[in-house]
Amino acid sequence: MKKFFARLNYTKSFNVLKKGFWTENQIAIAVLGICSSLAITNKVENAIAMGLGVTFVVIASSALIALIRNFIPSQVRMVTYMVIISTFTIVVQMFLKAYFPALASQLGAYVGLIITNCIVMGRAEAFAVKNPVKYALVDGFASGMGYMVVLIAASTIREVLAFGTFLNFPVMGEGWVPWTIMALAPGGFFVISLFVWFIRDRQQFDESK
Amino acid sequence: MNKYLRMIVFVFILGTVSGGLLFGTGALTNSLIEANATALLKSEILTAHGIEFNFTNIHDVFETSTDTITVDGEYDGEDYTYTFYEDKLSGTITFGFGPTFGGGVWGPIIGLLSLESDFSTIIRISVLQQEETPGLGGIVATRAYLDTFEGKTIGLGDDAISIIKDLDVLTAASNEVRSITGATRTSNQFDIILNNAYTAHRLVWEAR
Repeated sequence: MKKFFARLNYTKSFNVLKKGFWTENQIAIAVLGICSSLAITNKVENAIAMGLGVTFVVIASSALIALIRNFIPSQVRMVTYMVIISTFTIVVQMFLKAYFPALASQLGAYVGLIITNCIVMGRAEAFAVKNPVKYALVDGFASGMGYMVVLIAASTIREVLAFGTFLNFPVMGEGWVPWTIMALAPGGFFVISLFVWFIRDRQQFDESK
Repeated sequence: MNKYLRMIVFVFILGTVSGGLLFGTGALTNSLIEANATALLKSEILTAHGIEFNFTNIHDVFETSTDTITVDGEYDGEDYTYTFYEDKLSGTITFGFGPTFGGGVWGPIIGLLSLESDFSTIIRISVLQQEETPGLGGIVATRAYLDTFEGKTIGLGDDAISIIKDLDVLTAASNEVRSITGATRTSNQFDIILNNAYTAHRLVWEAR
């Protein structure tokens, strides 16, 4: 087993996966996708839907950009990313409206705002445009899931404290006094900052290096 | 020259492929999105009118129980078609509110206002579409918040519905409702939308 993990450690796919999830976590280390994470982490269901939406868009856009990377003229590189990212975002939006209308209505503007999520553009420019499709797929998956894991963890704390519920099921009992601040922007800043601190501390991450 | 030609060809292909992808997704989902919207509208109206239905008979039940009345009129100098859904038995009336009567903070708030046959007592409010901040302004679409309007009255002028933030000012008056905590702007906008929609529909209903 030890040998298997040691060997796994030398594969590029594993390292890309590890970076996306942990050592280069998009929220905690790269500090990307902060706006949406502050806004939607007051409910766990929002965090799951947003996480899945972003993951799909990162995977699909990274894969397509990696596939056509040798044909993209450098002058229109950014425009190309934007067109591809917005296309996939609209696809997600239509899919949610058609098959999950209640969720789509709850997420409101934030699904459309996946277009502006820095993680998607960041992975396109930093990874997909320089790597083959298979690694772009792994990187997109890892970055999206790394983002989603932090969203779910932060939203669990916020939802429980702000509403006394977890996935809309009451968990804090009848007499629970909601911490309204946790539903507001300051609560988001506080919890996300705690996660940034925790993950950076565990990794002994030093910004200056 | 070759460089520019290559760029133009690339942009053209990119536009065609992304357009095709959107067109294809639209073709697959548009009918479902429309059907979802129609079913949602009818289900909210029937629920407000207290009529039982299920998703297999919703269209038939709606046709047999509800009169759809449309009146051509104006709002704010623009042509506007007012649509009323009246329950054939009880006289309960439902009409819609939307961007014509005011917007939310981030986008339109679209929904339905159902009143008793007195055209004043609120039976139910439903928000079908909104783009407010999830968990804050988005609470405007939750049943728990909308149920606080049930039994309240709405009227013209001083009898307009009042969504009040300050708990010291809030009274037990039948036209006062508490605002959403942490979403003052959404609450204010919702107040404006409801009152504008009510006033316009009432004047048209009385004049028809």
